[in-house]
Amino acid sequence: MELHTAVRAFMALLGWSLLLQTLEFWRLLRMDRVGSWSIQRTEVPARPAWVRPLLDQVLQGSGYQGLLILRLVLALTLLAGWVHVSSALLLFVTSVLLLFRWRGAFNGGSDFMTLVGVSGLLIAQGVASITGEAEQGWRAGLWYVTVYVVSSYFVSGWVKLLRPEWRSGRAMTIFLDGGVYGPLSPHSVYRHPTVARLVSWTFTVWEGCFPLALFDVRIAWFMCCVAPVFHFLVYWYFGLNRFFWAWLATYPAVLYCALG
Amino acid sequence: MELTAVLILAYFALLFLTLRGRSRVIQGPWLFFLRAFFPNWKFFHAVGHVPHVYVRGESAGVWTDWHLVYPRLRRRWHHVFHNPAVNLALSHQNLVDHFASDLNGLPDGADASQLATYQLVTRLAHQAIRGDGWGSTPMIDAALPPVQRFQFELRMELPEPAHSELMLRSPELAVWD
Repeated sequence: MELHTAVRAFMALLGWSLLLQTLEFWRLLRMDRVGSWSIQRTEVPARPAWVRPLLDQVLQGSGYQGLLILRLVLALTLLAGWVHVSSALLLFVTSVLLLFRWRGAFNGGSDFMTLVGVSGLLIAQGVASITGEAEQGWRAGLWYVTVYVVSSYFVSGWVKLLRPEWRSGRAMTIFLDGGVYGPLSPHSVYRHPTVARLVSWTFTVWEGCFPLALFDVRIAWFMCCVAPVFHFLVYWYFGLNRFFWAWLATYPAVLYCALG
Repeated sequence: MELTAVLILAYFALLFLTLRGRSRVIQGPWLFFLRAFFPNWKFFHAVGHVPHVYVRGESAGVWTDWHLVYPRLRRRWHHVFHNPAVNLALSHQNLVDHFASDLNGLPDGADASQLATYQLVTRLAHQAIRGDGWGSTPMIDAALPPVQRFQFELRMELPEPAHSELMLRSPELAVWD
């Protein structure tokens, strides 16, 4: 993929993902009656002394609403194709602040991958502003994102392949039963041991082989076309919609970095 | 083979070797909040005990049965774009996981109620027994009368074969407004 196309697609998809996440956070302002900053702040280290007062200002009440509005605006500008080192830095800072608001992560892996995307954006803008070479900056940023996203599939696939309960297919049925949209119906096809084993092997081998995408751009296209189907199924059974968008935003980087 | 390809191969070979070995767990308050910078990408990898919260309430001197607080919601097509209730429910189950982990890390005789996770899970149990929900889905799968007091338990449960072990039972607590 051409650098210009990859950059434009990456920014648009990252902006879209951030927009959806921020709108969900806005909705949670009224929906979440369990989270309590007065309790959560006690977990924040007391030193340096300025951290807790700062977080008190930005993670509750109007300060938190302001933080979300700022993030919404930054997501929209990214979606529109505009970015500057200052906006990338602001996006990064708001991402770190949200980690404190949600005790390190709101939605696990999707927060991690979103942070990878935002960090990649900051690297791209930072390198460009230091060297004066925008292309060099984007190359650095897209490679950073690519290393993380390919590693995520590789690790996720192999940790499963190394476990007997995944190789037998038993783990998949257990996790699907525990899913937010579960349990599986008693007659679900996934309860058939052969089907469960076949499906488990199919997607874990696919994940484990993801680094092959880096060696041939045709393989990269194949992997990146299969990936949305995989993530949609993860959403369908586990409700993890944020994973779908967070990972989708990284594929332009993979397609750009693929060799050949 | 060009240098980039060699470097890529070397990186993934090294990564694979780290998966085979036992990894050390590094902990700390800053690392807890900033763990997103060090993702391990191990999703759904091991089948084991799952921490579950159960609640019961007292109404007119009679205690209800124990009820599981666990996210079960109805799927909608538009959830792929906007899914705050499900994501909130998942974050609450994540809180329960952290609570179990914090309890495991407590020294013998330590007061669990001082834990932030204990206090947050108390709020979760309180909201559940008061009939609150994740969006329009109640947190517990039963309609209960208004209660004056409540109690919660943390149990470690294994789906197959079914096994449940009590980890903590809270004192009886008054509901609040």
